[in-house]
Amino acid sequence: MNSDEAKFRLRAYRPGGRDADNAAFAEALALVERDPALREWFKNEQAFDAAVTAKIRSVAAPLELRAAILAGARIAPRRRLRFGPAWWAIAAAIVLAFTWSTFFRQPAQAGSLGEFAGFAIDDLRNGHHGGHGAALSALQAMLANPSTHLARGLPVDFAQLKNSGCRTLTFAGCDVLEICFQRAGIEFHCYILPRAGPGAAGTPYHLASNGMNAIAWNDSHYTYAVVGTAGAEAINRLL
Amino acid sequence: METREQTGDAQGIVGDGVFTLLVDRYYAALYRFALSLARNQADACDLTQQTFYVWATKGHMLRDATRAKTWLFTTLYREFLRGRRRDTRVTSLEDLPTGENDVADEEIDRVRRLDGALVLEALGAVAENFRTPLTLFYLEDLSYQEIAETLGVPVGTVMSRLSRGKDFLRAALAKLEQKSQIVPFPLMQRRQAP
Repeated sequence: MNSDEAKFRLRAYRPGGRDADNAAFAEALALVERDPALREWFKNEQAFDAAVTAKIRSVAAPLELRAAILAGARIAPRRRLRFGPAWWAIAAAIVLAFTWSTFFRQPAQAGSLGEFAGFAIDDLRNGHHGGHGAALSALQAMLANPSTHLARGLPVDFAQLKNSGCRTLTFAGCDVLEICFQRAGIEFHCYILPRAGPGAAGTPYHLASNGMNAIAWNDSHYTYAVVGTAGAEAINRLL
Repeated sequence: METREQTGDAQGIVGDGVFTLLVDRYYAALYRFALSLARNQADACDLTQQTFYVWATKGHMLRDATRAKTWLFTTLYREFLRGRRRDTRVTSLEDLPTGENDVADEEIDRVRRLDGALVLEALGAVAENFRTPLTLFYLEDLSYQEIAETLGVPVGTVMSRLSRGKDFLRAALAKLEQKSQIVPFPLMQRRQAP
């Protein structure tokens, strides 16, 4: 294989290392190791692809789409009873894929919580952080307190925080507040998104990407995401 | 007569649970794929919903459970092909890039500067046969072998289209940024006759 053939093949290599185990790329990747010019080309190609991927992933699906899909499926004439084991296998495959993407690899989308976690990671990587205000300081102090378990509820007054100068971003057309805090010397960033209406809490969603970990969860009124460069264990301890 | 579905038996609950898992796992990626194909939000939502509707009615026919992801992307693509009007855009073969252009640093910076919606708009400017594999590639959910399976084309064709498609995309991004930097000249007010 020469350099041009390697380039042709490696243009199909996904950024983030998801194809690292794909044998079809092994020869081309070996050539990258040996050829400095090819290595430089590959680095640029991957950087471009990673940038496009991040931007495309930042386009959020409309918030009401998930509910519409589930509602539409409920009225579909389903035949559920013939394929129980297959459904279990699919569930297992999804759970495995989820675990894999969470703990070992690049993230993937998983509904609104996953989207929000991805949004938080993207912002931590690219955003300019800052904010002020008394309400913000009080919440920051609470978040920094090791005895605070974030998933047990936070005293969030969204309007007051926003008006007091808390950094405000937009996610899927909605305002999101971002609050930086430190816990035991480790910096974290908490993102708060108001829910369209009261809803159930559900299971927290973990996401790992480019050395960052995020966890997203709901309470009855808000969706939260906390992101940091600390490991998944440190993020989990916050909840 | 009471049906098993009405009684909410265990397998029915499993079915609902798995369906929700599938929706949570893939609806956003499917929506983005649909958006790149249809190029408008309403049609993208319809396509995504239709895909899961097809799954709800026909998903039980899938024998190999590990293929659910490819099945969903394939179904969405087929639904798109079924519903669309014929694309009148013609790309002359002479216009096709060779797929051999290297990425310049400024092109990486350009992408980072642009908003996600604009990047998707640039992707939308790429001819459909290149755009479709390119979007699936950038969504990162499918390997190039799975993209080939989804689109029903040989793997070599996918590689070739990815290679050329990236050149198209870089050209579209440059054009888009150039366009967004043009400041429109203020229109002269038409004077009313006294």
